[in-house]
Amino acid sequence: MNRTLITSIPSSMTQMALYCPLILASILTLLVFSGNVMANSIQLKPKLEDRSTPTHYSKIEIRDMGFEIAKELRCPTSPNQNLFDSQSRIASELKGQIFLMLEQGNSKQTIIDFMVQRYGEKMRYLPSLNSGTAFLWLTPILLVLLAISGVYFFIRPKLIVSARAESSTLISPQQDTKNE
Amino acid sequence: MIPEIGLTLLIAASCLSLILSIITIVGIKTDSDYLTSYSKPLIYLIFIALFSSIISLAYSFLTDDFSVAYVANHSNTELAALYKVAAVWGSHEGSMLFWVFAISAWAALINAKQTTQVCRFHQQMMAILALVILGFSLFLLFTSNPFARLLPEFPIQGRDLNPILQDIGLIIHPPLLFLGYVGLTICFAGAMSALLCGGLTQEYAKHLRPWAVMAWVFLTGGNAFGSWWAYNELGWGGWWFWDPVENASFIPWLVATAMMHSITMTCRRGIFGSTTIFLCILAFSLSLLGSFLVRSGVVQSVHAFASDPTRGMSILVLLILFAGSAMALFASKTSQQTIKVDFTLRSKETLLLLGNLLLVIAALSVLLGTCYPLMFEVLTGNTISVGAPYFNSIFIPIAALIFLLMGFAPLQAWQNTTSSLRSQLLLLALCVAVALLITLVSQSSFNFWLFIGCFSVLWIVTATGLAIKNRVSKNKSHLGENHSNRRFYAMCIAHVGVALSVLGATYVSNFEQEELLRMGPGQGKTLAGYTFIYEETQAVESSSYTAIQAQIKVLDADEQFVTYIYPQRQTFKSNAMELSAAGIHSSILGDLYISMGQQLKNGDALSDNEYLIRIGYKPFVSWIWIGAIFMMCSGIILVMTPRKATSNSTEQVRSLQGSEAIQ
Repeated sequence: MNRTLITSIPSSMTQMALYCPLILASILTLLVFSGNVMANSIQLKPKLEDRSTPTHYSKIEIRDMGFEIAKELRCPTSPNQNLFDSQSRIASELKGQIFLMLEQGNSKQTIIDFMVQRYGEKMRYLPSLNSGTAFLWLTPILLVLLAISGVYFFIRPKLIVSARAESSTLISPQQDTKNE
Repeated sequence: MIPEIGLTLLIAASCLSLILSIITIVGIKTDSDYLTSYSKPLIYLIFIALFSSIISLAYSFLTDDFSVAYVANHSNTELAALYKVAAVWGSHEGSMLFWVFAISAWAALINAKQTTQVCRFHQQMMAILALVILGFSLFLLFTSNPFARLLPEFPIQGRDLNPILQDIGLIIHPPLLFLGYVGLTICFAGAMSALLCGGLTQEYAKHLRPWAVMAWVFLTGGNAFGSWWAYNELGWGGWWFWDPVENASFIPWLVATAMMHSITMTCRRGIFGSTTIFLCILAFSLSLLGSFLVRSGVVQSVHAFASDPTRGMSILVLLILFAGSAMALFASKTSQQTIKVDFTLRSKETLLLLGNLLLVIAALSVLLGTCYPLMFEVLTGNTISVGAPYFNSIFIPIAALIFLLMGFAPLQAWQNTTSSLRSQLLLLALCVAVALLITLVSQSSFNFWLFIGCFSVLWIVTATGLAIKNRVSKNKSHLGENHSNRRFYAMCIAHVGVALSVLGATYVSNFEQEELLRMGPGQGKTLAGYTFIYEETQAVESSSYTAIQAQIKVLDADEQFVTYIYPQRQTFKSNAMELSAAGIHSSILGDLYISMGQQLKNGDALSDNEYLIRIGYKPFVSWIWIGAIFMMCSGIILVMTPRKATSNSTEQVRSLQGSEAIQ
């Protein structure tokens, strides 16, 4: 394929306009992903201020936080159900424990750590980011970036050819009929 | 006697499929029309043999022949006749038989509709299907024979069908899903045949497309109905849990969606033939891998289904055999081919390509999350869980990118768009602004997930609307309704369906209200403007279970009576299994959901009549499934659109494209 480096300025301007949302989108994804990963890595370190100063939650806060925690922990007995959904006896007891600890003013992180300590890492539905789970967290992000940049660079050089060809072959009736 | 006939017919079908594949291969090699002319009658014979075989299994169920092990394990004289029939596919052996029967039925249907133009492609496709049927029936015969007898000491009464399965869901959900998988098998066979013919050309793609769309329709239905079933039956109020069994059917759906778009591109423009072939192989392999995950029991699931490690091994062997040889053939045939790129960055092709890539990445990410605990345990010996929070935080951003492309793609022209981007970007900005506004107004703190959801819904709907508007204004200058238009509107319906599902999912995830409390007669609770009053506990008896149910009266904000809701705890007579069935009052704006938990202890003694009750208000939850119905309808419209009509409208489409490009 002969590549002629002729490209008109207005056409590249419109191309730029198209990239804007794409770039915007990739930045957004990055932000969200890194936000998640950050949130996870923060989880690894205990929040000192939370532990030292017990806070008092309102009733509604306790309910919402309790449900949230129960949804992120796995029931030790039922096959693949979270504490919130599970109806086993131990799940009811652990839910009670969560609410009790919330009433004592423990933070979400303290409670999750407490549960994980008691029942093992398997309790955590959101695996924390460490060397063992880096592959799990980073592969999707890398793949998405690879796909976006791949499409961009794969089609870009050809663009010049077709920009040149645009005037002659691209919209020629003969070719279009063939394409149908 | 009847089960033996069924077994013999199954053996006959596998022999026939072996004969069919050999005859076709030899016939094509020697260019003998006489040999290849056997392909058609042989396919019909295989279909008849497998059909009779599955009928004989159904007969054994209906006549309560408990000397057949499969019947004894999954039926009971008390079971309703309808469930006896459904129990045929209620567990591993029967469902595999149903699967292989469905392959033969679909193949026979293709045969009946076949036109003689693409003879060789068609014959090869049948031969490959015959090989798949052979593989599946050998698997059935050697590892999971549904007709195995329990002689001489057979039980007088069967073990019952798993109580969870005794539901309308069993009658609809598994057949839909298996038909979807079978559709993927058909696409796989078509893709392989095209590969042997030298690549997927436009002509082959046109033959394959209706089947690909049908496969996608069935898979959509299977997934959506499965989710609806779990929501109604399991009593945990979730409509999607990212459970391995759910993922096993969701991953092929994602790839099938990409496959359908790719095949459309091949149809329209004759490009990306290899990509389409690759996606067909991938979708089929993932459907087999999903079956392996579900049936081997290597992953823990809430929807535990017929797991047995030995069968898992055989499915893995089948998977490696089929996928491995297909990939090898693909690699050897396509390495020399290069894709001719005749489109610019701002074209439908680019966006579709990127969208397909993202769909595949989403599928692979879900697969990675599903298999990760397994891999982690094998490598390190420690156990971890990967659950809903992980999948949500990885899948939703990727989905949001796909939704962004979904809005843009219909607005671009094929090959190169020259029209102004301004209106589209303006619309995008408007959607972002409105979504931001909604997010900030409705919740006190900024919720990113809510923002993504709102934006996706607004963007897909308005961008599709803009595309329709452009289309209508162009149609005015070119008179008449044509079938390409019908395709376009079908696509719009599907995209709006996706938007509706996203709307339901976003709404219910962010504005759901729930309470978990102890309740007994006379107690009440107010939630989301409704008052729930526990009136009494009743005992209920049905043919297969006894149950206690709570009668809960619901009043709205003006103290007006709305409805009674009856959540139950059922105890099955046959195996004393306890199951909770949620009480749901559905309406278009939201569901009232109540499930009944265990009887609570008060100190040491059981408190009189107090139960753990879960009350939920789930706004817009039914829209998730309404959206799925939209998607299915659009697929059916696409398939019903007659193919020959497109050539009549070629002239018009061409001029449409021309005018769009000129603009």
